[in-house]
Amino acid sequence: MKMIRLKNIHKSFNNLEVLKGISLEVAQGEVVAIIGPSGSGKSTLLRCLNRLETLDKGTIEVEGEILAAEGPDGKCQYVSEQKAREICFKMGMVFQQFNLFPHMTVLDNIIEAPMLVKGIKKEVIIPEAEELLKKVGLFEKKNSYPSRLSGGQKQRVAIARALAMKPDIMLFDEPTSALDPELTGEVLKAMRQLALEHMTMIVVTHEMAFAREVAQRVIFMDDGDIVEEGTPEQIFNNPQHVRTQAFLKSML
Amino acid sequence: MEKIITMMGPMLDGVNVTLQMFFITLVLSLPLGLLLSLARISKYKPLSFLVETYIWLMRGTPLMLQLLFVYYALPLVPYIGIKLPDFSAAILAFVLNYAAYFAEIFRGGIQSIERGQYEASKVLGMTYVQTMRRIVLPQVLKRVVPPISNETITLVKDTSLIYVLAMNDLLRTARTIVQREFDMTPFIIAGAFYLAMTLVLTWGFNKLEERYAAYDE
Ligand SMILES: Nc1ncnc2c1ncn2[C@@H]1O[C@H](COP(=O)(O)OP(=O)(O)OP(=O)(O)O)[C@@H](O)[C@H]1O
Ligand SMILES: [Mg+2]
Repeated sequence: MKMIRLKNIHKSFNNLEVLKGISLEVAQGEVVAIIGPSGSGKSTLLRCLNRLETLDKGTIEVEGEILAAEGPDGKCQYVSEQKAREICFKMGMVFQQFNLFPHMTVLDNIIEAPMLVKGIKKEVIIPEAEELLKKVGLFEKKNSYPSRLSGGQKQRVAIARALAMKPDIMLFDEPTSALDPELTGEVLKAMRQLALEHMTMIVVTHEMAFAREVAQRVIFMDDGDIVEEGTPEQIFNNPQHVRTQAFLKSML
Repeated sequence: MEKIITMMGPMLDGVNVTLQMFFITLVLSLPLGLLLSLARISKYKPLSFLVETYIWLMRGTPLMLQLLFVYYALPLVPYIGIKLPDFSAAILAFVLNYAAYFAEIFRGGIQSIERGQYEASKVLGMTYVQTMRRIVLPQVLKRVVPPISNETITLVKDTSLIYVLAMNDLLRTARTIVQREFDMTPFIIAGAFYLAMTLVLTWGFNKLEERYAAYDE
């Protein structure tokens, strides 16, 4: 089954066209890595998926349900706010800057949305949240405030928080870019674990080794377009396009 | 000594008026200020423009003028003209004025919350109202404690403006006694009272700040 189907996505900021007609399908359980130079539109693509940005043109389908489609006037039309919210919380997102809620403890960060959005009872969600915290190795931090955590710990809490909504798809936007090099490992480990559990994942990353090892498909974006895509072997060992070659060289 | 005791009766009545002005104004203008700040940042332009104008009027004219206007001029306005008793008129003017100042404080606080907080909430499926109530406003409260504390202390002293409506608050009572008895003690008592009140408020706000210090940002 296709978890995500993007067709001919266009997005501009003012007069700057950032996404120039991107189409992409992601299958269930697939791990897709998106790489590309700064400003190529990788974040914007992810953000369009869960409507942190609104499309100008194109179609988005999540698990067979239409989130946005082209209307009769050629413009993009979204489903109702309520419907869009239900579709979007099937996608968890992890940000570069963590975006934890600083006024809540780790545990409260995790249980807040399930209780508020899904109406799950506190006594049901707490054991689940504790399970998730054990999984990312932070159970003993459950009563700490985020300001007391290292970057790597924050990001692992952010992953647990997203998972508590039981998403079918996880989106990662450079989850390790704000971290000191010695802290990236623990976050990548948690992500690797998710991939092993067959979570559908789209990961924007500068971690080439991670992309090579974990992704089934690598997408190279440049200047608002998908320039090349393929298996990690194809992209990393035998890139076809000169721009891919140049980018990979610059990453060494 | 005996003189001071006979002074205390009317002075306490004055304290009572001052305290009532203070607390009623605070209790009404804080929530009103919050609502105004939300309207002020609303994406619905006419609403935010209306509130912006309102805030400009309230902050751009003296509170004394607003007080006089509500009391003397409001009754003359066609159709809505009502003559309010002096206490209600004073409360109305103070609440309208202070709500405008509080609105600007809340607005500053709300706008200081990083965009990432809204984005994280949205991605987790929260509505705008849920995001404001559970994520944004609790953090805003922490950030606005110091400016709110300032404004509140100013309010203690501003209450003395109601003398223009011939209301017998603490300061006016003190002045009346001073003029009658040629004795400065009432002024000293009044000053001591304002100082004590400021001290209590400062202490209270410090406690509040300590409580919020449970998390840093
Ligand atoms: N809200 C916005 N308003 C205006 N321009 C924007 C906005 N968001 C992104 N852009 C622009 O769109 C382009 C693509 O940005 P985007 O963040 O998607 O790139 P990216 O591939 O994620 O880059 P990076 O690797 O640096 O994160 C950039 O030129 C950026 O300046
Ligand atoms: Mg980016």
